Amino acid sequence: MNKTELKQVVEALLIASPEPLTEKRYQACMGEGETGLPLAELIEVLNKEYAKSERAFFIKEVAGGYQLVSHAQYETYIKGLFSKAGKLRLSQAALETLAIVAYRQPVTRTDIESIRGVSSDSSLRTLLDRKLLEIRGREDGPGRALLYRTSTEFLQYFGLNSVKDLPKLREVEDILSEEQDELV
Amino acid sequence: MTQAHRIDLEMFEGPLDLLLFLIKRDELNIYDIPIASITRDFLSYVKMAKELRLHTAGDFVLMAATLMKIKARMLLPLDSDGDDEIEDPRTELMNMLLEYKRYKEASEAFATLERDQRPHYYHIPAPWNETQEDPTAILEDVKLYDIMLTFQYLLKNYEDPVTHTVAVEEVTLSEQVGFLNTLLRSSAKISFLEVLSRFESRLVVVVTFLAVLEMLRNHQIKVRQSELFDDLLISRGQKFE
Repeated sequence: MNKTELKQVVEALLIASPEPLTEKRYQACMGEGETGLPLAELIEVLNKEYAKSERAFFIKEVAGGYQLVSHAQYETYIKGLFSKAGKLRLSQAALETLAIVAYRQPVTRTDIESIRGVSSDSSLRTLLDRKLLEIRGREDGPGRALLYRTSTEFLQYFGLNSVKDLPKLREVEDILSEEQDELV
Repeated sequence: MTQAHRIDLEMFEGPLDLLLFLIKRDELNIYDIPIASITRDFLSYVKMAKELRLHTAGDFVLMAATLMKIKARMLLPLDSDGDDEIEDPRTELMNMLLEYKRYKEASEAFATLERDQRPHYYHIPAPWNETQEDPTAILEDVKLYDIMLTFQYLLKNYEDPVTHTVAVEEVTLSEQVGFLNTLLRSSAKISFLEVLSRFESRLVVVVTFLAVLEMLRNHQIKVRQSELFDDLLISRGQKFE
């Protein structure tokens, strides 16, 4: 297969794939004996072409794979396709809850509440309903509390490739020294 | 309130958020929080919270109690014999505040990501982008949570009327205190587990345990235990009658 054909295959796979297309899945689709180029390389070429020909979309690396994404300026039009509820912003309470789960997963509800100092039941429910969190088993200890973790949709929602790409959590020492500086 | 600001409690995500606000507003040192004045300010907010949603108010009241406990402990003189390791009663609160602040900051970073990401739409539809609710949609990728919700919903159809049978069990606290007293008169030490093995009713077991607590409080007995969840050894106390 020459490079043009390979690019076409990748495009077809991106259109049809029910989830972000991973390198591994791509290789599996190519079958044995086909020594294609690495997926990342082809994606890069495609993205350059899309940019040059001013397409409305590009290929984004998200949740460990690749998928087609529309450019931001078409939001106004696309919005008309969907129900309003889907794009409601997360509340501050939900964002705090999500942040705690993201950095400390798997966590129990009690873990979350002891950090936030408030009951977090309804935030958890919202996040589960929106599929940004999922339940992954139960704790071994007494009470067998449910354990929460972030989902693939969570990565999609925030445009992250993996949980390793989370915004950096500041160390307590940093916050303390900053507090001291402010006082001086 | 000492300050003229009137602040809506709804603004705050909880008691820790409010405390961080007060610390910032009054430029307080988080290492050296003036407990008396912050407690006073905090309480005036809690008074307002009581008129708000009850479940949030509970969290605020709990923190108010914690603050007052710290305040009381600050009044106690530290042991001057120089045990340096006595912890400042405010340390735990400071750690809680700092830990909460870390995640509050992180949540702001997530809000930024959310804002950047919102205008982009994926070719693979995201679950939150549903055009219409489709009652005939086939369930795919069912998660434990979905199943739990469904089951909870279904269970509602099966709610049996609740009936209780109340049997009067004749056991009182003073009876069990008397019973333990009798045992202790004949032997210097008794095993709590052995005492319990005489009873079959859960209620009697509970009342007997209450009797132990009551007698312990009155110094009628002493209780020893070699490790957690182990048997209790009961012996006569200073005020044993």
